[in-house]
Amino acid sequence: MDKKIWKSLDELKFPVKSQINKQIEFQDSVKEEFDPNQLTGISRRKFLAISAASFALTTVACTNYRDKGEIVPYNQKPENVLPGKSNFYASTCTGCSNHCGILIKTREGRPIKVDGNPDHPVNKGKICATAQASILNLFNPERYKKPLKNNNGKWEEIEFLAAFSSLLGAINKAATEGKEIAIISKPIFSPSFAKILNDFKTKFPNTKIYTYDFLEPYPKQRAWMDFYPNQNPKDLDFSKAKIIVSLESNFLANEGNFVRNISDFVKNRDVNSPQNFSRFYSFESDLTLTGANADYRIPLHPSQYTYLLGTLINEIINSNKLLVNNFPLEQLRSKFSIFKLNEFVKENNIELKLIKRLVDDLLANQGSSIIIAGDSLNYEAHLLTYLLNEILGNSANYRPKALPVLSKSSLEEFSILSNSIQNGTVGLIINLDCNPIYHLPKDLGFQNNFKKVSDVFSFLESENETAHYSTTIIPISHNFESWGDYYDGIAVYSLAQPVIEPLYGTYQKESIILALVEGKMRNDNYHKYLKEFWEKEIFSKANTGVTFEQFWFSVLHNGVFVSSTTKTEKLVPDFSKVQNINISKGQKSWTMVLKKPYFLADGRFINNPWLLEIPHPITKVTWDNYLAISEKDANALKLISGDLVEIVYNGKKFEVPIFIVPGIAEKTLTIEAGFGQNNVGTIGSNVGFNPLVLFTKKELETGYVLSNISINKLDRKYKLASTVEHHSLNDTFVKDLHKSRHIIQEGTLESYKNGKFQVHRIKEKMSIIPEIKYTGIKWAMVIDLNKCVGCGACITACNVENNVPVVGKDQVIRGREMQWIRIDTYFSGSPENPEISLQPMLCQHCDDAPCENVCPVVATNHSPDGLNQMVYNRCVGTRYCSNNCPYKVRRFNFFDFRNHFANGFFYQDSLKLLNNPEVTVRSRGVMEKCTFCIQRITDARHTALAEGRELKGSEVKTACQEACPANAIIFGDMNDKNSEVSYWRNHQLGYFVLEELNIKPNVTYIAKLRNKLQEDKA
Amino acid sequence: MNQIDYTIEPQIIEGNPTQSQVNDAIAKPLETKPTWKYYLALGISVSMLLTGAICLGYTFYYGLGLWGINQPIGWAFDIVNFVFWVGIGHAGTLISAILFLFRQKWRTGIARFAEAMTIFAVMTAGLFPLIHTGRPWLDGYLFPLPNQHHLWVNFTSPLIWDVFAVSTYLTVSFVFWYIGLIPDLAILRDRTKSKVKKIIYSIFSLGWRHSNTHWHHYEMIYLVLAGFATPLVLSVHTIVSFDFAVSILPGWHTTIFPPYFVAGAVFSGFAMVQNVLIVIRKIFDLEHIITLDILEKMNKVMLATGMMVGYAYGMEFFIAWYSGNPLESFVFINRAFGNYAWAYWIMVSCNVIFTQLFWIKKIRRSIIPMFIIGVLVNVGMWFERFVIVVTTTSRDFLPTSWDYFKPTLYDIGILIGSFGLFFTLVILFIRALPVVSISEVKAILPNSQPKHH
Repeated sequence: MDKKIWKSLDELKFPVKSQINKQIEFQDSVKEEFDPNQLTGISRRKFLAISAASFALTTVACTNYRDKGEIVPYNQKPENVLPGKSNFYASTCTGCSNHCGILIKTREGRPIKVDGNPDHPVNKGKICATAQASILNLFNPERYKKPLKNNNGKWEEIEFLAAFSSLLGAINKAATEGKEIAIISKPIFSPSFAKILNDFKTKFPNTKIYTYDFLEPYPKQRAWMDFYPNQNPKDLDFSKAKIIVSLESNFLANEGNFVRNISDFVKNRDVNSPQNFSRFYSFESDLTLTGANADYRIPLHPSQYTYLLGTLINEIINSNKLLVNNFPLEQLRSKFSIFKLNEFVKENNIELKLIKRLVDDLLANQGSSIIIAGDSLNYEAHLLTYLLNEILGNSANYRPKALPVLSKSSLEEFSILSNSIQNGTVGLIINLDCNPIYHLPKDLGFQNNFKKVSDVFSFLESENETAHYSTTIIPISHNFESWGDYYDGIAVYSLAQPVIEPLYGTYQKESIILALVEGKMRNDNYHKYLKEFWEKEIFSKANTGVTFEQFWFSVLHNGVFVSSTTKTEKLVPDFSKVQNINISKGQKSWTMVLKKPYFLADGRFINNPWLLEIPHPITKVTWDNYLAISEKDANALKLISGDLVEIVYNGKKFEVPIFIVPGIAEKTLTIEAGFGQNNVGTIGSNVGFNPLVLFTKKELETGYVLSNISINKLDRKYKLASTVEHHSLNDTFVKDLHKSRHIIQEGTLESYKNGKFQVHRIKEKMSIIPEIKYTGIKWAMVIDLNKCVGCGACITACNVENNVPVVGKDQVIRGREMQWIRIDTYFSGSPENPEISLQPMLCQHCDDAPCENVCPVVATNHSPDGLNQMVYNRCVGTRYCSNNCPYKVRRFNFFDFRNHFANGFFYQDSLKLLNNPEVTVRSRGVMEKCTFCIQRITDARHTALAEGRELKGSEVKTACQEACPANAIIFGDMNDKNSEVSYWRNHQLGYFVLEELNIKPNVTYIAKLRNKLQEDKA
Repeated sequence: MNQIDYTIEPQIIEGNPTQSQVNDAIAKPLETKPTWKYYLALGISVSMLLTGAICLGYTFYYGLGLWGINQPIGWAFDIVNFVFWVGIGHAGTLISAILFLFRQKWRTGIARFAEAMTIFAVMTAGLFPLIHTGRPWLDGYLFPLPNQHHLWVNFTSPLIWDVFAVSTYLTVSFVFWYIGLIPDLAILRDRTKSKVKKIIYSIFSLGWRHSNTHWHHYEMIYLVLAGFATPLVLSVHTIVSFDFAVSILPGWHTTIFPPYFVAGAVFSGFAMVQNVLIVIRKIFDLEHIITLDILEKMNKVMLATGMMVGYAYGMEFFIAWYSGNPLESFVFINRAFGNYAWAYWIMVSCNVIFTQLFWIKKIRRSIIPMFIIGVLVNVGMWFERFVIVVTTTSRDFLPTSWDYFKPTLYDIGILIGSFGLFFTLVILFIRALPVVSISEVKAILPNSQPKHH
């Protein structure tokens, strides 16, 4: 039977049709008319190939592959370089004429921090804020990298050898034409460089060398030379003084060897030996840091110092209590009899008993007192100061002063140079790293004169005003890239050594001058010369009993060699000069006094943002200078802080903002120099105002005082960036809050000695929080307010150590400065004569820290050794911790400040090298604060661990502690009963700021004692 | 003087409308095309929102430095706005939950709107803690999310309490509001002729059929949720006030803050509800449903809460003096006479002095004066938060850390943006959902309740 099999009803019904359909395989899609040739040319294979190729191409194009250079491990490890370990090299700072010994800390071959060299006798391990910050100048991205030639106002980069040969050509041209070769330099303290310059002079006899120091106290030097003829000028040794009388001097902040002065001064401020306390009277027209540290501070008009000195001398020589009698008493009596104490105190509105006490103190401490006159005083005042020290028998309190190897030039010599240029007899000027256009008096006309000289070669690290008056600029190495030696003229020889290859292939100036002498440039020429020089000149006289190589490397290691010649010469005064001078009582006219800047040295650090952002020690103004005026005078002239005024003097005009400062003398305006420079780089250009426009040679030779000036109020304002709010001291609402809140606790020495003075402590404290026991090391800090003078070295040291960003003037105005440690200044008393209290303020690392419990993400917490820690990675930036911090020491990164400041200034390649690799660079939106230098603690702990012993608290020094010239900061383990910290923590003068909050801070402040009589205490 | 007959409940709805008239009146804005006025209003508020968005974009890109905050004033407009908007939200919950529990029938006309405002205000407020951080891209750290690092949030921080308080508040308010909407959505579903709308309404009305069982369940859950929401009215702003009260700053660290903040929140919330309702009842012809009587009652609440706030101001001063704590007294004298005295006196005059005008019945019942006072109350309450947040931190313990806060354009832009966000949401809401609860209004119509005589 033929059985029919069907698959569908269709097939059953229409078998034929269904059969046909079956044969068409692709019924719907591919039809009969399908023609492959009508398709596009791309085959499936080709399509895949193209896709693959384009995919590969995209992948390659999108990768961010840059050749990051060859990374090579140390096949041959450089000697003594261990990754992660710091190396320290001794060298010498060349920021000013003091030439302090420094230790440069390097990591993997790059310098990251500078500190004082403890073996160096000049500064004994401490350096100033400026030196701390000078490391930024090394990495300054705006340093000159190639020589520049001025081609009709356009700067062209040329090769070094071309510049060198054109300099050599210019020298030979001047020599053949018989024209003068003028070399302008800072004072030369280097014996080897002095020799090179002398050789240069021998080779080119037309050479004259001019050296100067900015704001050189010419009257002071003249007075010394007249009073002690043919005897070297001296500094004062404050450690020997029981009574210090400062007249317009800022010896604790920027005059002379102030780092040494600070450490000497605070030796007699030790609360453990109250019998050795010095008493410090300060007469000043400005309110300086020195005056702020005085026991008695008396504002006095700048014209009154000869009057004051005359009065004091008159009182003293008529007291019949003098122990010394080697002076013409009767002649002096008649000379000074016109100065009556009663008249003086009345005219100057000073309490009579104060001057009487001063006279008594001086008479009671003959031989152990010091009268110091400031750099801005005139010849007569200095002469009388020397006289007063002499008749009080204080000449033993002088200590040697560093003197340059080549003697300095007077302004008269510069005036002659100016004339020679005018007469066309100068063929070439070589400017050795100076800024004469800015520094020298404007009436000498160097601005025009430089243009008249056919060749001006400036040896500079970076741009300054003089650069723009030069024909060729030759870049030179930074001090940290250079060799050098420095001699103080008496006994101390210091060495400077390079700690890094010159970043931009530059040569140091000594090397170039040496090459000019030798006629050709050789690498490393000065290094060899220096060694030979030392072997010949110094080693031969040293009698050390070792080979020269041993001697050389030991000096290089120590950074200093002190020769044993310590002869003390007795000073022989010449009283005749005193007889001959005219001493006037002075007219109190409107007067302007020029002051040295606190942090800019001679102005060459103006392009250093760290230094511009350190708040002014008194007014806390950053990024500017200003004209300080007393509140009373400002009210009389209807001025408020920030008003622009015009100072008119001898037809010259100067526009500047004023700032009201308490304690400024009547009719006195003071301003700091070093600011207001044009063309010094992106940071420093046009920062502040340049008062030098008013000063001529005459005024600079006789003290930096302009009298009979007139002030015109301009109807314009200028924004000054101060880190604190300023209130009038007459505002009763906010007056003396620091005292009533026990932030500042002070007593008199007398009340401390007789046991009456007790610091305010809160004995009974209860807490609902269980106390946490710290059994191991517990870190704590003590700050001795008797010693802190407020110099600001700690601020810069902290900035450098902890990669603290610079925020810029606009952000300081907004109140966003980032420094982890600040120095608070409090004023008490009247605005005419306030009492100033200084207090470094940093994170107090409270045991029950209020910042910790409010952080929602536990980004700030407590370590087992008592540190209040910040975990940057965890921080989301709610800022609650900062709000809840009673000390307001937390700092928030409102921006990525490295990027925000000056268009990413700190993001430039060279400045990246500046960061301390041990410390995280914080990002935007993160809170930060003092860590008690946790990286140093960790480092010390690792060392202890590696050596298999317990870590001791005394092994760690924080950056601020290390920098403090007064040793006011003590850090260590409070659980170690024998430690210094635990001793001071339990000292009867120790107190905590805001103790009543019971948050258990760990920074103890030692209450300041003023050596005042109780009755004088307001 | 005519006697009031207390035996008869006063009518809440005027004009004795029928149920369908109520339906028509309330559903009208949803069913008709909006006029140009609506688009103008929307345009303005969206522009404000965009202003804020742009300012916020810049802030995210460059950092919080664009704002006026500084050391020591770490919080300013951000937290001021946060507290302000959380406060605005409070009136809604108070009206919908507490007044419901107290059987205050006059609330029916305004409850829906007030609840919606709560949600929008809390949404606006909730933005600020998220954007005020320095690194907003890490805001996730603020939530207790399990992670490999075993990093956990800090439960002692009031900011974490905030996270929980605000998110709970937002959730409960939203659920409460949505449950209340269900019967109305069903009515709208039944009324609408548009297919799309019908689908949407059908989904969200959850199959509501007005059945007796539905109503039974509905009433029960509504009551339970009202019970839930009631403590939240008190707790949320209490916890917000802990942001300050738990700190150690004099001026923040006070025990009066929780009740003071809650009273202030209700105060400002009522002012905001009153303000917006005045506009809405006018535009959408709902004057007979949102009657002058209701507005007057709100004004009375404002008068009462305003005086509570005023009492708190006075009490703060008294305690500052009575505690004998010099830091404390300094802060309060500084508030009144110090660097931000202008802000303080704006606050006192707006919140305490001007509201006293509500004692006068005529003012209480006239639209323009009450509107102006309402605006002033909101200005005053914004400044109250400003005074608390900014003046306190600007002058704290150490005089050397004092500073002054000045807002930048970005601060102001973001403040405007927050109003933009709030009003944009409100304006979209009044076109999308019934601004008055249809079913509740029907329930209080004179003939709605079963009569037994």
